[in-house]
Amino acid sequence: MLKIFKRLPPLKTVGAILFLFVQIACTLYLPYITKDIVNYGIIKGDVTYVWSKGLFMLGIAVCGLLAALFNTLIFSNLSYKLGGQLRLEVYNKAMQFSKHEFDKIGTSALITRNTNDVTQVQTLVEMSLKFLIMSPVMFIGGIFMTYLLNPKLSLVFIAVIPFLIIIYFIIYRFANPLYSKMQKLLDELNLYFREGLTGARVIRAFGKDNEEYDKYKAVNREYTKTAVKAGTIMSFFVPFITLLVSLATIGITWVAGKGVENGSIQVGDIMACIGYSAQILMAFAMMANIITVIPRGQTSAKRIYEILDMPLSIIDPKTVTNANGTCLAFEDVDFRYQGAKHKTLQGISFTVKGGQTLAIIASTGGGKTSLVSLISRMYDVEKGSVSIGGTDVRKLSVEKLHDLVSVAAQKSILFFGTIRSNLLIAKPDATDDEIWKALDMAQGSEFVRLLNKGLDSVVEKGGGNFSGGQKQRLCIARALLKQAAIYVFDDSFSALDFKTDRAVRTAIKGNLKNAITVIIAQRISTVMGADMIAVLDNGRLSGLGTHDELKETNGVYKEIIASQLYKEEVAV
Amino acid sequence: MSDQKPAMGKQVGALQQKPKNMKATVLRLLKYMKKSILLIALTVITAITGTVMQVWSPKILGSATTVIFNGAKSGTGIDFTKLGMILLWVACLYVGICLTDFLGQRFMVLTAQKTTYSMRNELKSKMAKVPISYFDKHPSGELMSIAINDIDNIITNLQQSLMTLITNIVLVIGLPIIMITISPVLTLVACMAIPGSMLIMKLFTPLTKKNNMAYFKSLGQLNTLIEESYQGFEVLKNFNGHKQAIENFEEINNGMISTGWRARFFGGLIMPSMGLMQNVIYITIAVLGAISVVGGKILIGNLQAFLQYSGQFTRPFSQIGQAWGNILSLVASSERVFNMLDSEDMPENKNTFTDKTEIAKVTFEHVQFGYTNELLMKDYNMSVMDGQMIAIVGHTGAGKTTLINLLERFYEINGGSIRIDGKDIRNTSRETLRKRIGMVLQDTWLFSGTIFDNIKYGNESATDEQIYAAARAAFVDEFVQKLPDGYNTVLGEDASNISQGQRQLITIARAFVSDPEILILDEATSNVDSRTEVIIQSAMKRLLKGRTSFVIAHRLSTIYDADSILVMDNGDIVETGNHKELLAIDGVYADIYNSQFNQLSA
Repeated sequence: MLKIFKRLPPLKTVGAILFLFVQIACTLYLPYITKDIVNYGIIKGDVTYVWSKGLFMLGIAVCGLLAALFNTLIFSNLSYKLGGQLRLEVYNKAMQFSKHEFDKIGTSALITRNTNDVTQVQTLVEMSLKFLIMSPVMFIGGIFMTYLLNPKLSLVFIAVIPFLIIIYFIIYRFANPLYSKMQKLLDELNLYFREGLTGARVIRAFGKDNEEYDKYKAVNREYTKTAVKAGTIMSFFVPFITLLVSLATIGITWVAGKGVENGSIQVGDIMACIGYSAQILMAFAMMANIITVIPRGQTSAKRIYEILDMPLSIIDPKTVTNANGTCLAFEDVDFRYQGAKHKTLQGISFTVKGGQTLAIIASTGGGKTSLVSLISRMYDVEKGSVSIGGTDVRKLSVEKLHDLVSVAAQKSILFFGTIRSNLLIAKPDATDDEIWKALDMAQGSEFVRLLNKGLDSVVEKGGGNFSGGQKQRLCIARALLKQAAIYVFDDSFSALDFKTDRAVRTAIKGNLKNAITVIIAQRISTVMGADMIAVLDNGRLSGLGTHDELKETNGVYKEIIASQLYKEEVAV
Repeated sequence: MSDQKPAMGKQVGALQQKPKNMKATVLRLLKYMKKSILLIALTVITAITGTVMQVWSPKILGSATTVIFNGAKSGTGIDFTKLGMILLWVACLYVGICLTDFLGQRFMVLTAQKTTYSMRNELKSKMAKVPISYFDKHPSGELMSIAINDIDNIITNLQQSLMTLITNIVLVIGLPIIMITISPVLTLVACMAIPGSMLIMKLFTPLTKKNNMAYFKSLGQLNTLIEESYQGFEVLKNFNGHKQAIENFEEINNGMISTGWRARFFGGLIMPSMGLMQNVIYITIAVLGAISVVGGKILIGNLQAFLQYSGQFTRPFSQIGQAWGNILSLVASSERVFNMLDSEDMPENKNTFTDKTEIAKVTFEHVQFGYTNELLMKDYNMSVMDGQMIAIVGHTGAGKTTLINLLERFYEINGGSIRIDGKDIRNTSRETLRKRIGMVLQDTWLFSGTIFDNIKYGNESATDEQIYAAARAAFVDEFVQKLPDGYNTVLGEDASNISQGQRQLITIARAFVSDPEILILDEATSNVDSRTEVIIQSAMKRLLKGRTSFVIAHRLSTIYDADSILVMDNGDIVETGNHKELLAIDGVYADIYNSQFNQLSA
């Protein structure tokens, strides 16, 4: 957290703090002047004195306002600038990440850090600069001023402080665990309610409605009990500390009475003290409130720095080597996810030449997507090498590498905007003709033409207004729009029916004559026509060949065929 | 009295909407809180009592000062007995205030929690009474928002705002009264605070609001950008789009910084400006009051009290404004909750329909159905014998799940009759009907409990042996033995600890345990590797043995093995027959067969 504060420009910060002190000083001075008015003005009956002191008070008040104006100006400016700075830095850093980092932290966690955590830190900076400084200063200042008035009186306040602190700690000691329990129970409650919604059909089919209700009611009861307990404890806090400080004012009045009797205290002192008691109470309540912001801010600051200080796993060589995409080669590649016990890929070797299509199919889940991630350097190999046009991908600048490779991923991702803006990501200077051509190849132009606004049609956040098949076709069109040397389609035909699947592949084959095409698929029918099929089995290359070769010789390939078709040959 | 408690992480006021029908909702809400009427009455009494004491105490404390002052001035010595009495009296008042404050708060906590306890239970039970179409019409996100956010809003605002409102109303009435008793002139001066504060608000609020709205708009835009950038990270990287993204980010971010600090600044100026205004009034009162005391018109103790009062004068107004806003918000939330509670229940059948004696296990006779007023199924007839397997095929979106909806009576038919063993399914309760039918769907819904409990869900009275037998039959036992906690493994919310295929197998085991006469099965399995695919197929085949079944077919073997095939298109059954017959028609079935099933001719 200190690191965060070090970022603040020192001159401005100190200036703002000075203004804050002036503001506080003015506030604290006012009751003091009241004392003078009473003691010298009222008691002695000196009206002129009252007027002059009154004007003086006005001057102080205006001073206080000006000081408040300036420090608010500077503080809000500083804290928001800091927040904005942090936000940008986190984003910049994340944009340099590779998949490793995203896997490690998790996408939603990363989003939280860039949004919530930054806001928490910003709030903390704002609050701590203002209130964390102001409230203890006001608190101590109020007591100090009382001391200046009359040491005996301040003793009364000082006597109260330990009680205040004890009550504060007792209450939080009991309340905090209750609040944690409440949060857990609430999460459970919400989980049950949500399950009730998503599983309505199943619950009714099994006739479990009553059971689910009883389950829910039980947790609800527990939660309510805990909430009442917690609420009751908290209800005690403010009234009690108010009582303490109020009793202190009574004590002061009594002591003052004795003091006035023997001439050591004057009446005005009492009035001033009572004024200070209000200020002290407010300051204490402010402190109690602000304390809760600190741990949250600290946690957030730590998490932000975790991101900012994270070492990058993939270093961009930034050299501009002239690489062409005439061939793609994997040489004895091993790959393992960071921290995993087992290797995902082992000993993968193959070479694909320009104009050829490589299809990848596997019997078990893992491996396929990791393999193609290595082509675009989303991950780095553990052993062996991946090279394009003879150059190891680690020697190419990341930007150049991404220019050479175009990917349509397994999950169709679209962004908020229009169809055109989504496709232009691939080629920012593409003409509408080029866009339509790509859509044609992807068999997507039909449905886009049917839309009211065509290419200008709105794409909602995440592409939610389109069906799975439509999203896939848009992503395929996007990949095709880019002029790349290597095209990768990672299971991007899964939402298409066989007819469309075939049409897209035919179009691709026709148009990307010199490029290398890599297709990952689950269906035999998709891979059948490839020049070369790689069969993965438990991360190893079980076979490499054409469909006809593999269906005779490769056991794993045969197994996959069997799982998809029934044994009978179909004669049509 | 300000109400403080540690922030529960939620920004109150985030749901600031105006209720549509204020009167009706408030009445209903009050009816709801009828059980707590005693508590509310007590709260009101304690709040009023406490506030009256709060209004009175400065005056009495002031009189203590007057005693001291008079004693000092007159030189006769201070009447300590009188002083002591007064101070004791004030102490009692203070203790009284503390008690009433505490009690009032506690009553409100109790009321709020009790009210929302009932609301939550009612919402949950309502969800069991609404027809399935309700869930299809209302996205779960919307319902969850009401069940969580709106209820949360009700609690928070109910706990705080009612007390605040009452207390401050009493203050607004009581303060001026007591102030006038001291000095009407000074009260007038104090009242200057009202137009003064309104002026300040008018000056600063529009600027604050303008900047705040711009800030939140940018915040929304930025959050969307961040979310999309991170979720679509690979796409951005692959297309080198991150440079543009960073540019966009900077633009929005800079906008946020400037509107943000401005909003804070203008908003932050309100308090000090109010402070200055209050100080000016304070000074005016102090000066004028001092003169009055000198002239003997006001007691000094009363001046002290008055100064205390004038400090408290403006707060009640802003507090009332805030509390009112919170109450509006809470009423709006209650409205949403009540709307949900008012949803139509499933219609219970009043009529009896004709039963027939027939050999068929399941009969569809002249069935008419549509999700809207437009009928999709116009006149469907079919008989299914005991033990037969009916395959259902159709293009995506053809309505294959309709049959499930009708058989399970998730939706009711518009006309005609569906009979099982001759009895119309509407003549028995839905519960009885559903006990005879088992479902294995594509959506593998399991709840967050142990694997064992999830299997047992199929039949609460199943013995352990039956459950293990079902697990073995569904090939669940094999992989469960490899898990560290075995059958006690708790399925997480995202079920990241077991794969999709394994989840499917568990739902099959669950269906085994329920041992239904009639089975509805959806063969679609997504994202399952070929090995698990084979296992699932075998498990499904076992489950189908000896039962009358309706299978949404995705495998060639199924349509070959079926006793009859239903071909669906646009929500209606268009062709029926076996494979060879349907191919000969060369209609919808032939089209589907050639595009979906006939892979080798690709």
